[in-house]
Amino acid sequence: MLNDKLSRRSFLKAAGVGVAATSALSLLSFTKWRKESSEKSEVSKIPTQCQGCGANRCGIYVYVKNGRIWKIEGNPKANNNPGSVCPRGHGFIHGLYDIHRVKQPLKKTENNTFVPISWEEAFKEIAIRLNLIIMENGPQSVFWLQYPMANAALSFRFMHALGSPNTASHGSTCYVARNAAFNVTYGGLPYIDMKNSRYIIIVGRNPAAGIRLDQLTDLMYAKNNGAKVVVVDPRHSETAVLANDWLPVNPGTDLALLLAMIYVIIDENLYDREFVENNTVGFDKLQDSIVTYPPEWAEKVCHIPKDTIYRIAREFAANKPHALVHRGYHGGYGAGYINSFQTARAVAIINALAGNFERTGGLYMPLKPELGELKEGGHPSPEIPKVPKADGSGIPGRYPLGSYSDGISHAIPELALSGDLSAGFIYHTNPLRTNPNPKRVITGYRKLQLLVTIDCVMSETASISDYVLPESFFLERDDAVDTVHSLKTGQVSIVQQIVKPMFDTKPLLDILVGLSKGLGIEKYFNFTQEEANALRLKPFGITVEDLKKEGVMNVGEAWRDGFKPPKTKSGKVEIYSEKLSALNIDPLPNWIAPLTNPDPADRSSFRLLHGKQSAQTNAMTFHIPMLRQLSLRTDMIRLWINRSRAEELNIKDGDNVLIESDIGRGVMKVRVTEGLHPSCVWMPSGYGGFSKHLDNSYGVGLSYNDFLPTYFDPVVGHVMANEIIVRIKKV
Amino acid sequence: MTDTIKKWGMLIDSSKCIGCHSCTVACQNQNELPPRDNFNRIEEREYGKFPNFSRRFLPVQCQHCDNPPCVKVCPVGASYKRQDGVVMVDAQKCIGCKYCLLSCPYNVRVISEEYGHVHKCNFCIEMVLKGEKPACVTTCPMGVRVFGDLNDPGGEISIALAKVSHIRLLKELNTKPSIYYVIK
Ligand code: SF4
Ligand code: SF4
Ligand code: SF4
Repeated sequence: MLNDKLSRRSFLKAAGVGVAATSALSLLSFTKWRKESSEKSEVSKIPTQCQGCGANRCGIYVYVKNGRIWKIEGNPKANNNPGSVCPRGHGFIHGLYDIHRVKQPLKKTENNTFVPISWEEAFKEIAIRLNLIIMENGPQSVFWLQYPMANAALSFRFMHALGSPNTASHGSTCYVARNAAFNVTYGGLPYIDMKNSRYIIIVGRNPAAGIRLDQLTDLMYAKNNGAKVVVVDPRHSETAVLANDWLPVNPGTDLALLLAMIYVIIDENLYDREFVENNTVGFDKLQDSIVTYPPEWAEKVCHIPKDTIYRIAREFAANKPHALVHRGYHGGYGAGYINSFQTARAVAIINALAGNFERTGGLYMPLKPELGELKEGGHPSPEIPKVPKADGSGIPGRYPLGSYSDGISHAIPELALSGDLSAGFIYHTNPLRTNPNPKRVITGYRKLQLLVTIDCVMSETASISDYVLPESFFLERDDAVDTVHSLKTGQVSIVQQIVKPMFDTKPLLDILVGLSKGLGIEKYFNFTQEEANALRLKPFGITVEDLKKEGVMNVGEAWRDGFKPPKTKSGKVEIYSEKLSALNIDPLPNWIAPLTNPDPADRSSFRLLHGKQSAQTNAMTFHIPMLRQLSLRTDMIRLWINRSRAEELNIKDGDNVLIESDIGRGVMKVRVTEGLHPSCVWMPSGYGGFSKHLDNSYGVGLSYNDFLPTYFDPVVGHVMANEIIVRIKKV
Repeated sequence: MTDTIKKWGMLIDSSKCIGCHSCTVACQNQNELPPRDNFNRIEEREYGKFPNFSRRFLPVQCQHCDNPPCVKVCPVGASYKRQDGVVMVDAQKCIGCKYCLLSCPYNVRVISEEYGHVHKCNFCIEMVLKGEKPACVTTCPMGVRVFGDLNDPGGEISIALAKVSHIRLLKELNTKPSIYYVIK
């Protein structure tokens, strides 16, 4: 568009016609020009992976018209997005031409402005500073924080070569409680065969706005075949639009609802007896503990009538084993409440009672193709450092079930203040905006002796970094071979270069190669992406060329229905967990109340919930004009509030309200609705940018992180992102 | 089927729509629209009272009327209807007078600041003539949209129409749209 606009402007100028005084004549000439250009157009279609949300990495075809990116379509072979693309994906391609892109490496000056610096100088200076820090504080004082992408393996390699275990993802602000609970119960994170399910319960997950395309096509397929869908969510989510039943649960009490459903299923003998006897451990202990949680108890806690609980539990069980409770994600129990870990445990267990594990229409372990190793090509792997992780993840007595690869990202500010961490790299993530309590985060990150951000635009975090190293946009680079599409079939896929880099940017591997030289670890980076990808693909007999032609390819045998022992210690589904018991964590899910609650005596007191909207990804897309306009045009950037509560406070639809918590305040427009539990307000995420460099996003909307105190749950150290109480007042 | 005249139409099942706007943005790319121009809006309605509540999304775009008011009011013949039923705007003829914007009861015509002329959904006719589906149809994860030749009794859209009860928007105005809706 930019080119069109520019070309038009310059065309008009050449024709001696001002843009403001557009006359019919100039219009005719312009459209004629456009028509000619479209008639002569050369179009090519190249497969790659989308990076509009980082997470799903959908298979796409990119259309290039006259050398310019035109549009994308879904790759029908890709498991994650059979043939379709979400709005973020369509919009994100315009990030290539975005005016906010960082065009060359930047270095921060004394007075907090940025000056360009050459790659060679940047590599040299960073290495000198890093070497000094490592000499003084040891390699473990360096951390690397990233969004988990195909290139993650490269950053682990880099950090391990340096000798630091301190890599982290954004997981502690997102999904770690869920992952830990499924790991304990199933020895891994199963996927969901919603397509073939007859009864689907979705608790606090909204694939229709935190979009996951295969789940949407599967849901629709199942519904067309008569499956029932139940959505448990305090807000009538976009997924609830498809539901047969919407259960507007009292926020933070999903665990009570699940315990009561388990009660009914056990009390009425509705569970899969054979599966439970043969393939699980500890059912008898659950049978004993569950007696305290009848629906009569739960309805008072979770606000779902007992009759509804009985009905849903019975319908769910009647459809077993082709019935499932969705494995969830961020919302509900990824990193929400003090009880999130045990809520996720209850989800894991209720699925086992339906005997649906490794069954069609139930849960299954997604296939995991083993990529070839670089060392096969003579590229040695660095050893995994023996030092413990600074954030305490995975360490008994600290955050015992925290995962090695996710770490606890929002602990970094504290660790910087305490001096445990002195230098850090940020790769395609933005802790200043995605971590709780930005003031605290900024204070912590400013304490670091060296902060390097690798990104395409000046995020909030880039804005306070010492160096900003611009990675080439995904349409300009090759990434490591990916296996993210592996579900019922194993799939390999790839991000490949569609157009030459527009600016002086580099792909991650070249950045690491550059850095490694001054750090004395170049022997671990003596390969090109092309060579490495060839080695990664070798076990499948696929060449890089093949994969680049197809974008996504099937490898190995497809999943087959039938029990396979989970990778737990007992080799069975662990309903009762010895591992948890040994760590002094409740080995069975029992009711735990949320840590915080709105003050019933104060009518202006609410819980603040948040969630995704289809138009934006975290804080990384709003500056892209097409997606920004979508949010603005549809008036999405509003705080949802229940109508009866709004009326009490004399708040009308479209009014501005002041939101205040113990740590923050801000003003936002409201959407007054009947589709929300009265005890909470709901804030869309993806807004509230405060990077001065992203001028079109600055100060638009708010982020729940502005209101969230800093918490670490005791099991995995997650943020407890829904334990926020705010006061609402009309302004 | 090649020599019979085609009549392009669409069936939109609003009960399946999740309001994701993927169609909107796909359409903007397909038609090289500036960020502010869009051919394809999603309306949203709420029904009922908490907790007995539901919502619906309704995608609205040019209805490709058989009796199109926009074509009638265009003083220069820029708005016209093709033989295959698709209502078009000839950008070269359009003088930007906006009569058509005012006459369209569906409010789906856009005057482009960037391009100066009026434009709107064209059923992705360039793609359709190549045997492909419109961009909004292929990108929709929910299968909300079925596109095809209404004159082909064995075609996908005729079969789909026969299976469901459907309506046309603002039927009382006698515009005779080529877009049919399932509204449950
Ligand atoms: S879900 Fe959307 S943004 Fe994410 S990879 Fe797929 S198309 Fe891209
Ligand atoms: S048919 Fe084409 S032009 Fe019309 S709304 Fe769909 S994508 Fe846009
Ligand atoms: S893409 Fe489909 S589901 Fe999404 S808004 Fe458009 S019609 Fe609705």
